[in-house]
This record gives sequence, C-alpha cells and structure tokens, in this order.
Amino acid sequence: MSSSPQVRDMLLPIFRRKVSHIIVDLSEVPYIDSSGIATFVEALQLSRKGQVRFSLAGACRRVESIFDLAYLKNIFEMAPDLSQLIGGERDR
Amino acid sequence: MTLPDFKGPVILDIPADPLAMFIVRALVDKISAKIGFEPRQTDKLVLAVDEACTNVIRYAYKSAGDERIVITFSIGPDCFEISIRDFGSGADPQTFQGRDLNDIRPGGLGTHFIKSAVDRFEYDTPPGGGMLLKLTKFLPAEEKAQN
Repeated sequence: MSSSPQVRDMLLPIFRRKVSHIIVDLSEVPYIDSSGIATFVEALQLSRKGQVRFSLAGACRRVESIFDLAYLKNIFEMAPDLSQLIGGERDR
Repeated sequence: MTLPDFKGPVILDIPADPLAMFIVRALVDKISAKIGFEPRQTDKLVLAVDEACTNVIRYAYKSAGDERIVITFSIGPDCFEISIRDFGSGADPQTFQGRDLNDIRPGGLGTHFIKSAVDRFEYDTPPGGGMLLKLTKFLPAEEKAQN
C-alpha cells in the first residue's frame, strides 16, 4: 500500500510512449498487496488496449503466491528472471 | 512446550500507518510458521491481516496516520485467532464483499484475500466506537479433522 501510488505514477505514463514491450523487474520486491496487484492489473489492461507486451520478471515465492491467490498468475506473463525476457527480445 | 500451550495472548499496538505493516507481517509470518501452517497458508494469513489493517487505515481512519490499530493474537487448543481493533469511523460491513475473480479489474481483491485465508470471519462494533474484526483459522491438525 505504501509504494503502490508511486509505482502507478511511474508505470502508467510509459504506456503513452511508443514502446513494444514493458518489463517490470520484481526481483527486489519482497511483498505485494491488493493495491499493488491492482496497479499491475490496470497496467495489463492498458497493455492489451495499446497492444504492448507487458511482463513481470523475478517475482519471489511470496509475491508469486499472491498473484496465484488472486487467480492472476496465468493472466500475466511472468518470467523467473529478467534475462529470460531480455534474451527473448534479442532473439526476435 | 507446544504452541497451543503458549500462554497468550500477544497484543500488538501499532500506528495506523502503512510503513508499520512490516511489523504485523513479520509477526503473523513467525507465529503461523511456528504453529505449523504450510508456507502457502502462512502467506495467506500474512496477506489477510495486512489487507485487514490496510482497510482500517484507508476506510476507518481515512489514511490519518496518528491513529492506532490493536491486533491481538490468541492460540487456542484448536484455532489461531487474530482480532483487529480500530477506533475509527466504522467501515460499512456491506463493503466486505469480494469480487468475482473472473472479472479481471483493479480493486476488490482485499476482501477475497481475507476471506479465503481463514475459516471464520466475524466483525463487531464494540462500545467506544470503531470495529473489531476477528479472523479465525483452525490449527493444522484440527483443520484435517474438520475436512
């Protein structure tokens, strides 16, 4: 709850730029609550609307488990670490 | 000594401030793990208590950080009880409705997280104002007997 507004303010304007893929690195995030999840759901909706690929990388077990509890783990593209997604971009 | 023999309760009196929530999460995590809940169930309890406190901060106290939340942890012979007491304006219990999880949209998840983590979810409006939310989870052995 304490950092969700800052994440939202930083993340959502990126969708106004001409980008093809947005990756959020969660590797330093130890915990997420419903307001954090809500921010990412909002971003996911914007990504679908703007046809921008949106991915989450490096979620720890607890963060991943919270996405799972919200039945959202399979809705988001989630990679174990950033290098997998960046490597994937290079291979394209 | 086993945890059900532990002479509780443990009472945590904290500021109604999101920055203080790490203390609550750490305590729920440690007690739940010590009781013997599986890591996933411990995660669910941590999230439930965090969400309940967040609701208090946001709705009962309107994010005013100079108020208090009193959380009482009790371990009985068959259940773990967590009571969350606030002294705020009193949230409308009708707002404690989770949303349909097939509806992918921001918001409405907090109540779902709370209700899915516990076996009993009760609230009361005690004298002196505010609200008392009581969350109960059966202890692991008791849970098996219930199912």
